[in-house]
Amino acid sequence: MDIILDNWPLIQKGLGMTLGLAVVTLLFSTLVSLILGVMATLHSRMLRWSIHGYVEFFRAIPLIVNVFFVYFVLPTLGLDLSPFAAVVFGLTLWGSANGIEIVRAGIEAVPAHQWRSAWALGMRQWEVYWHIVAPQAIRLIVPPFTGLLTLLVQATSLGALVGVTEFLKVGQIIIERSAVMNGVSPAFLVYGFVLAVYFIICSALSWLSRYLERRLGRKSNRKPSLVPSGMREAV
Amino acid sequence: MDFDAAYLAQQWPALMGGLWVTCQVTLLSIVLSLLIGLFGAAFRLFSVPILSQLTFGYVELVRNTPILVQLFFIFYGLPAIGLGISQFWSGVLCLSLWAGAYQVENIRGGLLTIEKGLKEAAFSLSLSLRQYFRLVALPLAIRTSLPSMLNTSISLLKNSSYLQAIGLAEMTFIAVDRIATDFRAVEMFTAIGALYLALVIVLSLMTSIVEHKLRKPFRV
Repeated sequence: MDIILDNWPLIQKGLGMTLGLAVVTLLFSTLVSLILGVMATLHSRMLRWSIHGYVEFFRAIPLIVNVFFVYFVLPTLGLDLSPFAAVVFGLTLWGSANGIEIVRAGIEAVPAHQWRSAWALGMRQWEVYWHIVAPQAIRLIVPPFTGLLTLLVQATSLGALVGVTEFLKVGQIIIERSAVMNGVSPAFLVYGFVLAVYFIICSALSWLSRYLERRLGRKSNRKPSLVPSGMREAV
Repeated sequence: MDFDAAYLAQQWPALMGGLWVTCQVTLLSIVLSLLIGLFGAAFRLFSVPILSQLTFGYVELVRNTPILVQLFFIFYGLPAIGLGISQFWSGVLCLSLWAGAYQVENIRGGLLTIEKGLKEAAFSLSLSLRQYFRLVALPLAIRTSLPSMLNTSISLLKNSSYLQAIGLAEMTFIAVDRIATDFRAVEMFTAIGALYLALVIVLSLMTSIVEHKLRKPFRV
């Protein structure tokens, strides 16, 4: 365990970077998901189809290819991104593709008569969204979004492949350094430690997601599962 | 930025080599993960002592850790304690263990939907527990969980791209390797994007064939 304690400052920095990546990615994903998810429920067929295309495309391509695409292709188009920005961008494409599905399903789960009643009372479209649909949909949307956060935390480990010094990369650095100094590889111990820390963080988040689902779902009698197929196992 | 088709044609054989490795790893892992899923689900469902708890822990561990860390643990960590295996088999092991955890849940979910009455009926026909599982429960459960099993297999196929991180020469590795020397990123990513899409479609078709075969006894 000495090796962990000796490198504690580095480990802290890596964990901070991982959480930073996760938080920024989640913020962007949430923003894009909310905007496009609401747009996907509007009555424009073209809008719906193009959003559907976006969702299907970024869920069909491997996550790693998403990130590499952003990292390798955008510079050739004249847009130079830092590794951090590339990871955030690549993960946001994937995270929002899953988030849009969650938001869309959450809004569509609100019964149609609620819409009709609101219209009958003379509410405008945005008023219906804000006063009637949002309070009901949010209860359904929050638990799967917490689940998405778990997956995004896991996916930030991709940063190690494009040179972001996040938690996994820190593990690699410690192993290399120690292997050079002592001649034996501490890979088993260090990667075991990395696994354990991810396990603690992600288990807590999955637990939170399940708790929220029970807690928020209790009030409504319908409890559709909004987790898009394939999302819970993406990384 | 112009699209260079001639370059793509020139790199095509290398990409096909990568595709072949991807296919090998994916198919082997799908078979192994289904076996893991089958046994794991049986352990959990019949609450086999120790094995049931072990399966539960394994599923939770896999689901709550990044596959990339699992891969590094297997490929770099195990040799450090004297259990070195090749890139190919590390990849197969990692993907099988990863997908196996989800297949346990998929198959278990299918088995849970089976009516209790069937078990009683099977026992009254003097079938043993094993016979009931093999002849009655399993064929029905597989029908129910086939869509989720397909989903997991598709995720497995996509996650095979992680194996480039340990230097296995699969499709993504070939593409990234070529980009590093020739800088033709657009062509390469278009190609592997299309190939992954094609593989997903082939996998879905294969599943619908299985589905069709399984429905046979129920067709009038």
